[in-house]
Amino acid sequence: MAAAPTRIDVLQLYRSLMRVARQFCDYNIREYTKRRTIDAFRDNKILTNCSQLSAAFSDGKAQLEVAKRRALVYSLYAPKVKSIMDIKPS
Amino acid sequence: MASSTGLSLKFSPLSTSFKQNKVLLRGICNVNSVSLPSRGMRLGSLRLRVSCAAKPETVDKVCSIVRKQLALPKDSPVTGESKFSALGADSLDTVEIVMGLEEEFGISVEEESAQHILTVQDAADLIEKLVEQKSA
Repeated sequence: MAAAPTRIDVLQLYRSLMRVARQFCDYNIREYTKRRTIDAFRDNKILTNCSQLSAAFSDGKAQLEVAKRRALVYSLYAPKVKSIMDIKPS
Repeated sequence: MASSTGLSLKFSPLSTSFKQNKVLLRGICNVNSVSLPSRGMRLGSLRLRVSCAAKPETVDKVCSIVRKQLALPKDSPVTGESKFSALGADSLDTVEIVMGLEEEFGISVEEESAQHILTVQDAADLIEKLVEQKSA
């Protein structure tokens, strides 16, 4: 198992996940990604066990890779009609 | 013009006589009040802006985003000098606030710069710098 992730690593992972979330065209998936990362990071904030920390961190990194791939594929097949939540009230 | 009056201001406290001081200062004050409004809009304001803080509208926008993120009541004191940690934000909240600011102002904050943001004023200054860079 790799060494425990530092505080900076965790924050960088958090930031990368939020940035990937922004790239999704679908409102629902975007909001879900943001919500899930916020919830997961807050839940794991209290972890102190080294192995648990590295497990959670590698899990997060795997999810980041998945999200990046999905964002790319979704952008290729973006729907023409945007979700109602995305349309700003004119 | 502005720089010469600045220099003369420095010399006046060296004179020992109190009356001389007053006369000198009055004379200099007159010159200041005449020169700065005419030229100060370009020279003076440019020189002051380098050290001056961000615009108050930017600080207000940052404050409103911080309030929304941390769910603070509307009348809680959030000023330029408030530290995020003092307002009850942990590092995750700070990252979320920076994300919100990126979306609001359409800028992209670097990793290292984002880690040095500790107060509302820091955030507003960084935003101003990035907006200027983007529009330049």
